[in-house]
Amino acid sequence: MEQVEKRLREEARKLLSEKKVDVIVGYEEGTLPLTATPCFIATPEEADRLVWNPFCVQNLAKFVHDLLGQHHEAQKRVKPEARRKKRIGVVARGCTTRSLVIQLQEKQYERDEVVIIGVPCGGYVDGRKLAALAGGAEIREGALQGDRVIARTLGGEREAALKEILADNCLTCRFNQPVISDIRTGEPAPAAEAEKEYEPVTAFENLPAAERWAYFEKEMAKCIRCAACRNACPSCYCRICFAEQTQPRWIGIGDDPTDTQLFQLMRLYHMVGRCVDCGACVAVCPMGVDLRKFLKKLDKDAFEMFGHRAGVSIDEPAPLGAYKDNDTEGFIFEPKTGA
Amino acid sequence: MSDKQSAGEWEPKIVAIVCNWCTYAGADLAGISRIQYPPNVRIVRVPCTGRINPFYILKALQEGADGILVSGCHPGECHYITGNLTARRKFAALKSFLGYIGLEGDRTLFTWVSASEGDRFAQVVRGVTDAVRALGPARKLVKAIQGTEGPV
Repeated sequence: MEQVEKRLREEARKLLSEKKVDVIVGYEEGTLPLTATPCFIATPEEADRLVWNPFCVQNLAKFVHDLLGQHHEAQKRVKPEARRKKRIGVVARGCTTRSLVIQLQEKQYERDEVVIIGVPCGGYVDGRKLAALAGGAEIREGALQGDRVIARTLGGEREAALKEILADNCLTCRFNQPVISDIRTGEPAPAAEAEKEYEPVTAFENLPAAERWAYFEKEMAKCIRCAACRNACPSCYCRICFAEQTQPRWIGIGDDPTDTQLFQLMRLYHMVGRCVDCGACVAVCPMGVDLRKFLKKLDKDAFEMFGHRAGVSIDEPAPLGAYKDNDTEGFIFEPKTGA
Repeated sequence: MSDKQSAGEWEPKIVAIVCNWCTYAGADLAGISRIQYPPNVRIVRVPCTGRINPFYILKALQEGADGILVSGCHPGECHYITGNLTARRKFAALKSFLGYIGLEGDRTLFTWVSASEGDRFAQVVRGVTDAVRALGPARKLVKAIQGTEGPV
């Protein structure tokens, strides 16, 4: 891990001093123990702020899209001859690179506008599991020693194996190596248990419909429509989200539970073949809604129905923007003839 | 609606979103040919099934539709060449997802009816009405009017 961090800082310093990038999006030490937070590095001297450890949670593709989107917008007001490209360096793990691929597939920016520094990823720590480890008490100090995480609270010291507090999506990650990168740092990370990735979905599918609906209602009742999931999601980048549209107003602004259900359903449905299971939405949700249970189903469907894995190849179009002549027809209603 | 239900007079309300070029013409043919079909469908005409935002279906459910029928040209016969082919993928994913969260499968139905299939259109409407009638009034995702039990 220290090796990767060292390489990362060297590469970042080199990129910035050679002016190959304008800014690098990475992670720095968080203000609280056992956390890391996204940061923007614009000068070579700052490169030492960069860190790489299992506390780096957020999907940085979101920031790449935001920065480039703002830049493109600003360039519209510049004379054509004075326009310039902005290049963004990004520290990217497997899921971040897949999000970048999705944004590239969807022609949000060009490949030469991003410099991808691929990092190996063994998964990140789930904030909720860490809080549970600390027994809900405030973590005063923390350390990562090998594969043990130590959290000191006023009540004493708690310790756990890193694997025990990794986020659920990391435990069954299929793409923990960067799918595209300009610069690679570190050795490939060991594979996770990808063959188990759809187990919770299959288990849920086998429940009776009434139980599934009850679970959906229960989870959606927690949602306070703060839109943190949307704001953290690298695939959610519409300038005006349907949730805020007023003509038509898709989502009522009252406290009716169906409005929340519809908001979530619509946002989830946008993720068919576009969710990379980075867990950013789950990590930021203040209410702990089990979004992953539903997102994973869309991922499974996109793979089983259309043979599509989100964000794996730039040349492959988004599944709902493409078709095949022999696409599934099993859901088509056929009336009984002569009825 | 709720008092009608208690009296056992409930009739399913079905929104049929159909494409201009095939199913709408098919429905027209059914009318011209005087083929009888249940009056439970409210037809919404759109240029193409590819134009249907899946939100329309969710929104119709929220506003109290007991069933949604979407119908367009047969695959390969789309007026816009590929509109119904991309729509097929959208609806396959939507239907599967709605089933996953526990919504009854027969609330949202998709089919193809061409302009020459007036009798098929009537059969589809009969089939859909029977299927939705068997399910009873929609309860899931339906927005209640303030202070009442019924939908908007």
